[in-house]
Amino acid sequence: MRMTPTVIIVGILALLAAITLTVVYWPYATRDITPSEIFRERSSIENTGRKIYLQNGCVYCHSQSIRSIDWGHGAERIAQSGDYIADEPIALGSQRTGVDLSQEGGEHPDDWHIAHFINPRYTRPSSIMPPFQWLAMERIETLTRYIQGLGLKDADRRMERQIYWKQEAIKAYEAGPEQNAKWLSEIVPEGWRNIPNPYPTTDASLHRGQKIYQNFCIGCHGPIGDGMGPAQPWIYPPPLNFTILKDRGISGGILYYQIMNGITGSAMPYFKRDLESQKIWEVGDYVAVYFINQSDANTEPRGIDAAWEP
Amino acid sequence: MSNEVTESISSDNPTAKAFTLTSAFWFAAATSLGMIGAGYLIAPDFMANIEYIHFGRVRPMHINAVLFGFVTPGLLAAAFYYFPRLLRTELFSQKLGVFSAIFWNITVAAGIIGISIGHTQGREYAELPWIVDIMVVICFALVVFNILMTIRQRKESILFVSIWYTTAAVVLTSITYCLGNVIWKPDTGALLGIPDAIVLWFYGHNIFGLLLTPMGLAVAYYVLPIATRSPLYSHTLSLLGFWSLIIVYTHIGTHHLLQVPVPTWLKTISIVDSVAMVIPVMIVLINLWYTVKGKLGDIHADIGAKFVFTGTIYYFFVNIQGSMMALPHVQRITHFNNWVVGHAHIGVLGFAGVTALGGLYFILPRITGKPLYSKFLADVQYWLVLIGITGFALVLTTVGLIQGNAWYNGETLYRTLPEIQPYYILRASLGTLIMIGAYIGLYNVIRSLYFNRGASI
Repeated sequence: MRMTPTVIIVGILALLAAITLTVVYWPYATRDITPSEIFRERSSIENTGRKIYLQNGCVYCHSQSIRSIDWGHGAERIAQSGDYIADEPIALGSQRTGVDLSQEGGEHPDDWHIAHFINPRYTRPSSIMPPFQWLAMERIETLTRYIQGLGLKDADRRMERQIYWKQEAIKAYEAGPEQNAKWLSEIVPEGWRNIPNPYPTTDASLHRGQKIYQNFCIGCHGPIGDGMGPAQPWIYPPPLNFTILKDRGISGGILYYQIMNGITGSAMPYFKRDLESQKIWEVGDYVAVYFINQSDANTEPRGIDAAWEP
Repeated sequence: MSNEVTESISSDNPTAKAFTLTSAFWFAAATSLGMIGAGYLIAPDFMANIEYIHFGRVRPMHINAVLFGFVTPGLLAAAFYYFPRLLRTELFSQKLGVFSAIFWNITVAAGIIGISIGHTQGREYAELPWIVDIMVVICFALVVFNILMTIRQRKESILFVSIWYTTAAVVLTSITYCLGNVIWKPDTGALLGIPDAIVLWFYGHNIFGLLLTPMGLAVAYYVLPIATRSPLYSHTLSLLGFWSLIIVYTHIGTHHLLQVPVPTWLKTISIVDSVAMVIPVMIVLINLWYTVKGKLGDIHADIGAKFVFTGTIYYFFVNIQGSMMALPHVQRITHFNNWVVGHAHIGVLGFAGVTALGGLYFILPRITGKPLYSKFLADVQYWLVLIGITGFALVLTTVGLIQGNAWYNGETLYRTLPEIQPYYILRASLGTLIMIGAYIGLYNVIRSLYFNRGASI
């Protein structure tokens, strides 16, 4: 084969045309634009927020595409093409330096996001996201509207829940410590309230609890558990001051349940995906021993001691 | 240089010089931007709240500076040297060549500054705003025009392999760039929904497959036979390698989207062709490695050829790895994490970047008429870059496996962050070596071009 300029130019152009037709144009021509069951149009403020998201390269660390294998992330809803039909450009992302955001809307209340943008470590001590305080409040709030819409109709349902329970949480907080502690106990299902922490307090368990506390809790509840962590100025109702809970009937079961499930409406997230059972019991006991100064660990009813207990 | 046809062609080549300087400058700039990004990953409050260089902006600035500032101009510098030599004619227009180099720098600077102040289309590898997209296309058009006109006035009737590859690269990239950046939609530069992802990765992968790879191979095809004074091993393999590259590489972009709702037939095509990449890659490597067989001493003696030959070894690794990564079962672990970042660095720096550096060092004595300012500094740079990129490959692959396996095991992302921090520190340390290498290279290039007191060759 003699490679003349004509052979090269005509050859490569013909190949590119044929291949582009097959792998780019054909998928385009046969694209499915049926909306998925969660699809809705974005509001104009959400669209403005999306521009801020794209301008600032959020897409380089956050994917918006949950896969069937993402069961650690909670593949409650796996991405479908009908979710993306209004996205121009599409922001699937190629890296998860941070978490996937496709169903982020309504996972937290607005104030959690604001504190998180001011400095991500305020609400997530082990985060490696840079701070976005420089965006200033107006843009942070606009961006928050976009984030809270991620998940579209599913996000709207979660947001309704956040807004309802935020009112309740504020009411309880404003009624004073006594009422607040009562509310915090009563929103836990009956069975859980009567369970003491089934494991004994040991030096090792306290050390493990402290480590978990530092990695997950310290930003809001603060190093001494008084609710004065760096996130505090941004969050309302403010993070709980554990020291008010003494003699107010807080069992190990209540602590466990609230850490596991979070308190929707308040900035307290659920930790059931981040922490396994033992870690939740131990961080709960750390809070009980050091900050409430009252632990029911290993008291009756206690069942049979686990095999590892000393 | 006895093998080269030099008698009638002027050795003064301001276009090649201008692109050499461009490449060396942007290598230093791009690695500096990369270091800022690496710093944020270790300590996110490092340089906190500086809008113009925060991580989300410095990352695309780094990538665009590497692709369009460092590697492409570096490979073009060599091309502007070997086109006249191989075609036995002068470059069609040195004035146009120098102008295109200057315009190229303005374009890259405009793109980087644009991203820095928030003008981005937010699509990976296609960030540049529309006006800069147009400037990039003009850059490529100027180069295409210059080399096609040079081919037209050639006195050598047979076109050598390097000419095929580079012509194909610049012609095809002018087109895929427009397609990938959806240039007919200036506002968003994007399509709607899933097709946007398909066109984006078609283009994104072709930046490597139709631009950096063919131009890198063109430099290898030119430098290795001359450095070892050997004829090319096989014309047939050259032909097969060239056409199979154009056919296979263009099909594989969708392997970035295997876990996304795109049509299954398209995923299948991308997987099959990704594995089939072994064909064009091994054909070319067999051809090149057989050409230099038994002559590694000659390669070792020539710093340019040493870089280029190292590039071919990385070309082998990056492609074997790439074929493997396209398998859906492998991708369950490797997707979305630092494994892919490692792969990108092996390809763009280990193969294309190292080859571009080799091209620069190979042509520098030939376009200045004097020996390199310092062969020692070039060797130091070689080892810094080699240690840096090999370390990158190991560290980022390790981190990727930690992340991927933890996620696949059901662990949340927050749990993995403290585990991987030490690797980010290692990665930044290795990046420091590469960056120091880039600055040493820039110094060496400037001294060689303008302040070289050595005797003429």
